[in-house]
Amino acid sequence: MTAAPSPSRFATLAEGVGTSVFGIAETVGGMGLLLGRILARLFPPRLDYPELRRNLYKMSVKSVPIVIITALFTGAIMVIQAAPIVKRLGAEGLVGWAAGFGTLREIAPLLTALMISGRVGANNTAELGTMVVTEQIDALRALAIDPIAFLILPRFIGITVTLFMMTLYADALALLGAAYSSKALIGVEPTAFLHGLTGGLLGFADVANGLVKSVVFGLVIALASCHFGLTTTGGAPGVGKSVNATVVASAAGIFVLDYFVSFLLG
Amino acid sequence: MISFKHIKKAFGPKPVLDDVSFDVKRGEVFFIIGASGVGKSVLIKHLIGLLRPDGGEIWLDGEEISRKDELGMMPVRKKCAMVFQHSTLFDSMTCAENVALPLRKHRGMKTRDALIEAKNRLEVVHMQDFADRFPSELGDGMRKRVAIARALTLDPTYVLFDEPTTSLDPVSARRVDKLIRELSDKLGVTSIVVSHDLASIFSIADRIVMLYRGKVKLMGTPEEFKAVDDPIVQQFIHGRAQGPIE
Amino acid sequence: MSVQSRQATVAHRGFVFDLGSAAIDLARSGWELYSVFARTLYFVARGKREKGAVLRQMYEIGNKSAFFLTITMGFIGMILVYQSGLQTKRILPDFTLLGATYLELLVRDLAASIGALMLATRVGAGIAAEIGSMVVTEQVDALRMCAADPIDFLIKPRFIASVIMTTVLIIWAAAVAYVAGGATAYFAFDVPWRTFLNIQLVDHGDLITGLTKCVAYGAAIPIVSGYCGLSTFGGSEGVGWATTRAVVNSSLAIIVLNFFISAAAFVVFPK
Repeated sequence: MTAAPSPSRFATLAEGVGTSVFGIAETVGGMGLLLGRILARLFPPRLDYPELRRNLYKMSVKSVPIVIITALFTGAIMVIQAAPIVKRLGAEGLVGWAAGFGTLREIAPLLTALMISGRVGANNTAELGTMVVTEQIDALRALAIDPIAFLILPRFIGITVTLFMMTLYADALALLGAAYSSKALIGVEPTAFLHGLTGGLLGFADVANGLVKSVVFGLVIALASCHFGLTTTGGAPGVGKSVNATVVASAAGIFVLDYFVSFLLG
Repeated sequence: MISFKHIKKAFGPKPVLDDVSFDVKRGEVFFIIGASGVGKSVLIKHLIGLLRPDGGEIWLDGEEISRKDELGMMPVRKKCAMVFQHSTLFDSMTCAENVALPLRKHRGMKTRDALIEAKNRLEVVHMQDFADRFPSELGDGMRKRVAIARALTLDPTYVLFDEPTTSLDPVSARRVDKLIRELSDKLGVTSIVVSHDLASIFSIADRIVMLYRGKVKLMGTPEEFKAVDDPIVQQFIHGRAQGPIE
Repeated sequence: MSVQSRQATVAHRGFVFDLGSAAIDLARSGWELYSVFARTLYFVARGKREKGAVLRQMYEIGNKSAFFLTITMGFIGMILVYQSGLQTKRILPDFTLLGATYLELLVRDLAASIGALMLATRVGAGIAAEIGSMVVTEQVDALRMCAADPIDFLIKPRFIASVIMTTVLIIWAAAVAYVAGGATAYFAFDVPWRTFLNIQLVDHGDLITGLTKCVAYGAAIPIVSGYCGLSTFGGSEGVGWATTRAVVNSSLAIIVLNFFISAAAFVVFPK
């Protein structure tokens, strides 16, 4: 009943590595082509504004609850992890700085991106994949409407803007969660926590660092989810596989690019 | 005037269409018939560039169109509308929004004006009461009528119907037949209908082409089909289980 | 304007409405999740043993995630050390404890939590897509007709395999992240390998916390995803929805579990 063992199970390691490398190259190439086609529709912008507004509403407003939960818990976890280190150094006043640095520069953009990838990116792939397997994309073409300009461009912009805005929320909420859990755990008052944040060790550059990352992550999620959605084949199981591929590719892309962006921005 | 000339198409190693040629005249109701999987739908998808032929030419009003790129196909698609087999309405939009979409994109109408015009169009197919429903809330026959209204929004010269009566109840099916016939008689629209619904074929067709094993088996009027003495044609038009068709 | 005002009214009515229905949904899903979990545990103890099923799932979950996990954990290891190096540099340019602190955090939290978030996307989406496809193609109903409980037949093997393989994969992930971090410390901040390789800060409390997290996450992913897969309805759109929900809910489950386990560890193993 469950999936029969695939032939690749018996493939040699070298074959497996070769196949993965080709698979990755094919995916990256496909995404590059898609990006080119999307950019070609931006100059001059041929954007469907009602479609953009509908997507923005669905992607952003509906994601607020999970972003709130993720950010509050993440802030608290950051303090739990930073607390022993701060205590060891005897610098309880620095907990705001210690938690804030990691949260703003790394953890808030990263976790928000992972959650939005799961919520919005995966959903986008599911929708596009369903439209492909039920011939709705062909129906658009039959009505002489360009699917890239009408469907993909608004989603592409929608995902990127959504992630940027959600990261702003997450930054604020994670710090709120961190402030109150440091009061609960190590007795640092929220005002002292705030002082640690604004005491000069953290600057706007740290916030901007995280926000630049969120834009990069947004582009990765948007590209991956549109690419895998549009290349869906094979009915309902195919849609499931595409969604799976999207979240995996987004996560890998997010981590790899995070590294390079971190290094570039210093 | 549409001419298919020596169309060839294969999916992988499996040839589907093998040298298919025929002409469709202005204003007629033209049926393409044949057993399931013979490539009828594949053939009409070539006409609007959803598929490209491996060989052969397609002429539409004195222009060869099978070599055009995606952007070049757009004017052709405005001239040839298509009604898909499963209606294929956009399920994120209401019926009115579905019909309003081509108006908005091609007639430059504002959303509100397009919606008003869309409701007028829905009235023609007696669907005005369901304008604000989503396609998933409607039955097959109603969805088909909305799909026909959507296909007609740009006043096309040619309309392609992919199995318009399959999966409809007999009453809805005959209503769709009547609509297709009226399009031709009143508006001069040319309809190309892919079907294996015998009742439709013999009630509204002007001419019929039958495909068999990737080739044209017979072309002619319904009377000619009834009169011809070919075991394959006779088996098909009488719907017999026993016969030479495997 | 009409579209805007319509959306505004929908949003307005939607908020209270959403809140109420979300609360009811949450309670119902919580109960159903608990019942799937309880039945899985029951079948682990008493169900029929199907030869090879667990091994096959271990292969699916383990081998097919190893490459993905290695890449992502390698990069996250480099990022974390780079960021904490920068952070350290701002107050006291003393890198002697960088490796030790990093290892402590890795063992206690980061390896398990970030690794599990990766597995939630890779494994969770896979389980939901597979079971969801079986539901919409009526294969699960066919299973019921053969008097096989879908939980016994589909979720139990994935549950056992996931608990084992998550633990194994996370130990591997921790090693990868540690080595990648060490390399970054060496190349970016000139921290010698011997200084970085310092295990003095890792105590039994950290190990117990880390392993508890592995087991908890390993159990949560197949339960949450399997539940999302089994509750699929509709066609291809339904499978897409189920997969999306599996990823989001497994990730949320990991974040929430992390909070409670970390808080408990903070109380039980004070530093």
